[in-house]
Amino acid sequence: MSNYAVEFKNFHYAYNGGEVVLKDINVSVKEGSFTVLLGPSGAGKTTMCKAMAGIIPYYYGGRYAGSVEVLGEDTKGRRVSDIAMRLGLMLEDYESQLVSLTAGEEVSFSLLNHGFPPDEVEERMKKALEDVGLPGRENYQLDELSGGQRQRLLLASVLAVHPRVLVLDEPVSAMDPEGSVSLYKLLYKIHQKYNMTVIVVEHNLDYVLPYVTDMIVLQDGSVVASGSFEEAASIAYEDRELRRILPALWQVKLNLEKRDGIHLGMWRKTSDAISELKEKYGRAEL
Amino acid sequence: MIETREVNFAYRRGEPVINDIDCKIENGEFVALLGHNGSGKTTLSRLFMALMHPRSGEVYVDGENIAKKEPADLADRVGYVFQNPDLQILADTVWDEVAYGPRNKKLSEEKVREQVEEALAATGLTDFADVYPRILSFGQKRRLGVAVALALKPRILILDEITNGQDSLEKEQMMNYLRAINEEQGITIVLITHDMNIARLYARRVIVLHNGNLVFDDVPEELFNGTKDLTEWGLQQPTMAALAANFELTAVNAADFCAQLTLKAGDK
Amino acid sequence: MKVTAFTQLITVLAVTALVFILPVQVVSFILVLELVLLLYIKHDRMTMAAIGALTVFTGMMILLQLLFQSTLEVAMLGGLRMLVMTMAFLCLLAATRIQDIAQALVERFHMPCEYAFMLTTALRFVPDFLTDSTATLDAQSCRGYSNRGNVFKRLYSYLVVIKPLVMRAVAKSDTLALSMELKGFGANTYKNMKKQELGLGDYLVLTIVAILSTYKFWIKYL
Repeated sequence: MSNYAVEFKNFHYAYNGGEVVLKDINVSVKEGSFTVLLGPSGAGKTTMCKAMAGIIPYYYGGRYAGSVEVLGEDTKGRRVSDIAMRLGLMLEDYESQLVSLTAGEEVSFSLLNHGFPPDEVEERMKKALEDVGLPGRENYQLDELSGGQRQRLLLASVLAVHPRVLVLDEPVSAMDPEGSVSLYKLLYKIHQKYNMTVIVVEHNLDYVLPYVTDMIVLQDGSVVASGSFEEAASIAYEDRELRRILPALWQVKLNLEKRDGIHLGMWRKTSDAISELKEKYGRAEL
Repeated sequence: MIETREVNFAYRRGEPVINDIDCKIENGEFVALLGHNGSGKTTLSRLFMALMHPRSGEVYVDGENIAKKEPADLADRVGYVFQNPDLQILADTVWDEVAYGPRNKKLSEEKVREQVEEALAATGLTDFADVYPRILSFGQKRRLGVAVALALKPRILILDEITNGQDSLEKEQMMNYLRAINEEQGITIVLITHDMNIARLYARRVIVLHNGNLVFDDVPEELFNGTKDLTEWGLQQPTMAALAANFELTAVNAADFCAQLTLKAGDK
Repeated sequence: MKVTAFTQLITVLAVTALVFILPVQVVSFILVLELVLLLYIKHDRMTMAAIGALTVFTGMMILLQLLFQSTLEVAMLGGLRMLVMTMAFLCLLAATRIQDIAQALVERFHMPCEYAFMLTTALRFVPDFLTDSTATLDAQSCRGYSNRGNVFKRLYSYLVVIKPLVMRAVAKSDTLALSMELKGFGANTYKNMKKQELGLGDYLVLTIVAILSTYKFWIKYL
């Protein structure tokens, strides 16, 4: 019995009338991990997220081979709304994922559709809104909420069904740094509180560095590295293109580790790096 | 050249967004406009383009007061590029998309062709001239937005958060194009961004707004050398600058930084 | 006094028929009733503007009828009826949430859930589109689009704002449809909502409506 949140087994995919976007994906995401999906634009990250939710290939169509398993069950033949009860998906255009007029209705929507009794719906709805930092806002209209609040609202609506896995595709691409830091703090809080597996596509690894456990690196539709963040980063570092999308902090770390043959710590913040560097390194004499 | 004199702006029943700002941007400059969310940087840039008009004070473009102008009047002097390229795409080919501006201005077909070609070359989109704009990658669409603005041959280009949401490779590419446009054609660049690293590496002048006030206006080195507490203004020191400053070094990137460090004796 | 969306829908539909059955004095009385109701529920600028617009529209209708050689009496009657009917819909929108209307349409009138949900969706996206249209207008202005010239020129040039908006709408609706699928939208959606039970107020109003509708029958006996 595997304890993988998501498993890709020899998965290939091409959109209708398009080229192959995912090539022979064989990778697993451990349950309870905080995994980041990294790769240059066009590598196939969004497609992979959609495959995790089962909407590729079964909602979009297209050609595929292999399988994707979510919490041990194949996504094939299952309704996407059933998979959504166990794996929540937040796309980049989160605004268009909101369907209702008020916050409370949005969060309750999925629960109502699945036949939960009204009392339980009410309770879960309130709890979910509290969890994301929007307590008591059930009656707020959508346009009374700011962009960041709407994103949290979508998160609440996904959380209300108590999924085991959360998949987010570039959640902060349109946000300023403050909002981004605050969203990731919230994600981590939820990750810890509910032992939820979090899979996030993010360009700016500085935001996820404090929380990340594992990483999958995608390039041109293939997985080039996967495993713990340290392992995957070391492999990515060897590629000239991928090296440049690693966070600056880790470019420094991996450079020094490789050059001097030592092992530096798991730097999560700039201050971690500064203290260790100060300890071990000095200015080079010219 | 853009100049604002004591401009103030507030929304109809709201707090002031811009307080008494005096600012002058000369031809050929490469300026980064920084500030926390709500600091007024976007509003200020919109005042430059007559998308908004100040409650008091004046804005001058090339010495002319633009109080009675609208953006269309300024389009051939000031180009404004928005964050979301999807909101303006209307043609079926990249060529037609870029040609819209010049054609709208009733320029001769000859002139239109010339200006479009130049704009496409400056943004590396020459090979995409016949492509349907909506299938371009996000980074390419952003560059298309720049080409669209350039087609009218403005002398100043204002760019609103156009590297947001892009990976480092795309950001670098976009910035290199902008640097080339600035250095080779002398076009003034005003970049609104919250990416400190970009500001540090590409701008030659940095203006910081905080709560509607102009709090810093100098070269990037002065801001990023570690002597200022940027968190006071809602900003963060870019990683490389923070690392380098701690060793009293300057470094452009990770490789540069590492080259200036050696292992202390007895730590292998 | 609480009246469910169902009763309100019935009442509005009844009114559109009643304006032709009942005598002028009663119809005028209904108009006054509607105005009082409307102003009591929602007296904001938008409502006033809506009332004003409807009045102007009715006025134009009356003028048109006169142009086509109706008598003043006939034209005025036609105008009155039109006004009462449209005001009834305005009252409905002001008094009830659109979600409740949609629910009533599915529950009681057996409308397919997809159609009823369109009402909610339309309303939900209106503010988004207004924001998008402003942003698009700004972007196009910056590339030379100007709102000047004669009416035809302005309408034609407005296409540069409309086209990107439409494309955006299509893209948004794709994501929306996907989202609804993920959330399990379907036959169950309205079934599991809190039922809108008919109360005393409903029966009262429905009785009045029933009585008025059968006016032609019992007026003979008075």
